[in-house]
Amino acid sequence: MEPGMYAYRCTACGKLFHPARAVCRECGGREFEAVPLEGEGTLLTYTRVYALPEGYMKPWLGFGIVEFPNGVRVSGQMNTEDLAVGMKVRATVGTVKEGVGRDYYGFIFEKAAQA
Amino acid sequence: MRKVGIAGVGHTKFGRSEVSLVDMLALAALEALDDAGIRTGRRHGVDQVFVASMGAGILNRQSSVASALVDTLNLQPAMAETVENGPASGASAVKLGYMAIASGMCDVALVVGGELMRVVTGWEATDFVATMLHPDAEYAYGLTLPAFAGMFTRLYMDKYGVTEKDLAMVAVKNHEHAMHNPVAHIQLVPSFHAIIEDEDAPVINPYVAEPLRVYDVCPVSDGAAAVVLCAMDLADRFRKKPVRIAGIGQATDTHVVAEREVPTDLLAVRLAAQRAYAMAGLKPEDIDVAELHDAFTILEIAISEEAGLFPKGEGHLAVRRGETRVGGRIPINTSGGLKAKGHPLGATGVSQIVELVRQLRGEAGGRQVEGARHGLAVNFGGFGNNVVATILSKEE
Ligand SMILES: [Zn+2]
Repeated sequence: MEPGMYAYRCTACGKLFHPARAVCRECGGREFEAVPLEGEGTLLTYTRVYALPEGYMKPWLGFGIVEFPNGVRVSGQMNTEDLAVGMKVRATVGTVKEGVGRDYYGFIFEKAAQA
Repeated sequence: MRKVGIAGVGHTKFGRSEVSLVDMLALAALEALDDAGIRTGRRHGVDQVFVASMGAGILNRQSSVASALVDTLNLQPAMAETVENGPASGASAVKLGYMAIASGMCDVALVVGGELMRVVTGWEATDFVATMLHPDAEYAYGLTLPAFAGMFTRLYMDKYGVTEKDLAMVAVKNHEHAMHNPVAHIQLVPSFHAIIEDEDAPVINPYVAEPLRVYDVCPVSDGAAAVVLCAMDLADRFRKKPVRIAGIGQATDTHVVAEREVPTDLLAVRLAAQRAYAMAGLKPEDIDVAELHDAFTILEIAISEEAGLFPKGEGHLAVRRGETRVGGRIPINTSGGLKAKGHPLGATGVSQIVELVRQLRGEAGGRQVEGARHGLAVNFGGFGNNVVATILSKEE
């Protein structure tokens, strides 16, 4: 089963973080509740990397920073060759790295369907 | 607090080391001790040793490197620590040496930074460097430092009008500077036309992480650099007049790059530089020469702005006007920078300071900045989440 991806909301002030933190940057609060991070977001910047680190058997891979409507920004892999700053993308969760004995799950963004 | 100076400097030829990590560190250390005129052997004059290395544990499977260096140099019973702060390990180690002397705990500290990186393949090295990113939100995705630098460059181009040609100008300038630095890794100047204008440029200078190309990225190098720090009140013990450490500033920023409020800002650079200026009682206009952490060409431009040498968004215009080359208004990376001199991670922060000492002493040969009195070094860790700025001043 693939786990979902979450932001973590400070229960004291409402500030959202991804990934999880021990202490809220705004108010110093230490309790958080998980909020699903899903749906569409906006691509803020991207790159295609041609020199991948060890463990990737691909000639290149796209990466981007995406902002969700709730303001949370995350990095992820891009599963589309058609990339442009400001485009709408849809968050999916998939295997971002195959490890020894475990796989790593994370955001893989796709081009959002035209409105 | 006591004033602290730099009495001696040493630097191996960056590139490929023929000797082990500790033997390479020892070469730089002995050059620095000899430069300062400090005795070795039973009655040696070193109180404390700091060794900066990011990768000894991972790349060389060696820990407690400072203890090993003390042994080979026979500096017992000197105090010794190994310092790891990513690619800013070198300047962090100098900062700790400064603190050790300023506090009165000791009089003379040997600070050596070094990295033996070419024992692994290029993609293993890239993977190792990426281990400083957030393990779940970044590293696990295959994100690397070039990936973040590429995404940062695209934002900078869109917001400020920086072009690929501007970046190539930074690269060519630093390679030209390196031709006058005998310890630089790359002793070859690429043709601007060949790497960016020619129709074969995409082949000679392909993309690594769009929009960054091969010539925007520093090489993988072995190397070590060393400085001998001393209390200024003991200055007459040494062969040469020490160069004073006038200011040190350090700051951190979010580990997770995506979380930065303004993604084109490097707040830790800005704050580290401001703290260093405040401690030194100097302003950016007072700086005569700067070594800025150009692991990627875009970083030289962005750091020059955050350190106050140019207004935000205008660093590339200064590059176009030739202000950052030797002979210009504020020469940057006279050593060749990380781009051409090389970037052995733990060595880099120390190497930047070695270059400033040589400039302020007037020992920089064909790359000398005439009359340089104040120098600034910015050593950049993570993708800007831990930055150390150091200001050196010539004692009159
Ligand atoms: Zn809070």
